[in-house]
Amino acid sequence: MNRQFLLAAFLLLSAPVFGHHSTAMFDATKTITVTGTVKEFQYSNPHSWLIVEVRADDGSVVTWGFEAEGPTTLMRSGIRKSTLPAGTRLTITGHPMTDGRPAAAWVTAVLENGTELNPRNGFVPR
Amino acid sequence: MTASNKCLPFSLLRPLVWAAAIAIHSASAQVPDAAASREDMVALGKRFNSAEELYQYLQQQAGSNTGLTWQTLPDWRGVYSMDLRQTGLAYDTSQAPGQLPPAKLIPEQQAILEERVRLAQQGIEFDPLGRCEPPGAPRGVSEPFLREYAVTPEQTWLMNEVAAETRRIYTDGRQHLAPDDRFPTFDGDSIGFWHEGRLVIHTNQLRAGMYQRSQPNYSDDIELVEIMQKADERTLIAHVWAFDPQYLLEPWYTRKTYLKLTDPEKQLRIHYWYCFDNQNNDVQEQEDGSTQFKDFDFD
Repeated sequence: MNRQFLLAAFLLLSAPVFGHHSTAMFDATKTITVTGTVKEFQYSNPHSWLIVEVRADDGSVVTWGFEAEGPTTLMRSGIRKSTLPAGTRLTITGHPMTDGRPAAAWVTAVLENGTELNPRNGFVPR
Repeated sequence: MTASNKCLPFSLLRPLVWAAAIAIHSASAQVPDAAASREDMVALGKRFNSAEELYQYLQQQAGSNTGLTWQTLPDWRGVYSMDLRQTGLAYDTSQAPGQLPPAKLIPEQQAILEERVRLAQQGIEFDPLGRCEPPGAPRGVSEPFLREYAVTPEQTWLMNEVAAETRRIYTDGRQHLAPDDRFPTFDGDSIGFWHEGRLVIHTNQLRAGMYQRSQPNYSDDIELVEIMQKADERTLIAHVWAFDPQYLLEPWYTRKTYLKLTDPEKQLRIHYWYCFDNQNNDVQEQEDGSTQFKDFDFD
């Protein structure tokens, strides 16, 4: 495989999340999945953050942040601010940070009733 | 009547032949519409040495039919977004899978592009938008978020959700600032005219930037010509030619498609875009050229 092809193949890889900054701080080749409780939904431009408290087996709590696109893309995905009030239980998957901090690019979340929430569905024309 | 009597003498046919020839010429020489092919538009751009020459040519083709009144406004109402199904964020929608951007760059800029992509592959990348700079032009044509358009006979505003940016296109007959009075800005200075539902734009006074993440640079000598037109009720097409005598060996053409979004509950609206409203969106360029979040506040 030549260098040109490798470079070009990279160009067309989908970014973990679209917005105003490079997404190189996330490892798009890995995913993490945690189950927890929504602490806060920071519905903001240019990125929103879903803050989730995750309780470990030993009882300790780690607070994770999951980055997504801004409000208009989330709305196009059917994710409103009121969709995820504090206290909501969910299982969420994301591309983790490369530096090990408890944050990730939000890929998908599943509520206890089975509803799946994918921020990037907002880019599908409809 | 015999068969020979059915044929008109050539002297009578000649005016008809001329009329047909003129009609064909007129049809082929019009200001290109939304259906114009990429190949034809690439060839059109190559016929000219500068954006100004192309723009003047389009003005000539339009002739005196360049007006717009409140009664003839095209319907560009609604909220639009770029069609990402083409090639994602790639500036040039003809960029094929497995290929680098097809711009004809000078060798130095081609090397910079390849190095940029190589480093990004290693996670070393910083986007100036991370500092909350607006995308500006021409980069703004490749941003994937919401767009709105405000059309009046004298001005058209092209509004982009990213960084709450607005490009003003003056169609009231004014000219660009005098050369000695020009200064580079993110969106430059745009004048234009309307012709049969098509908005033709010439932009200069732009500042240097890059076409998109993992795409080439452009210099502050870049100038643009754009033709925008609704292809149907939902689809807005933009032909865009970039002329950059510093960095490009020939004009770089791209064709962008923007789709009007269905929003029956009228929930979609462009809000102000300020990168530091949320501390968790604060990113910084590192010494090695990579990007990192500053300090998270999840408490």
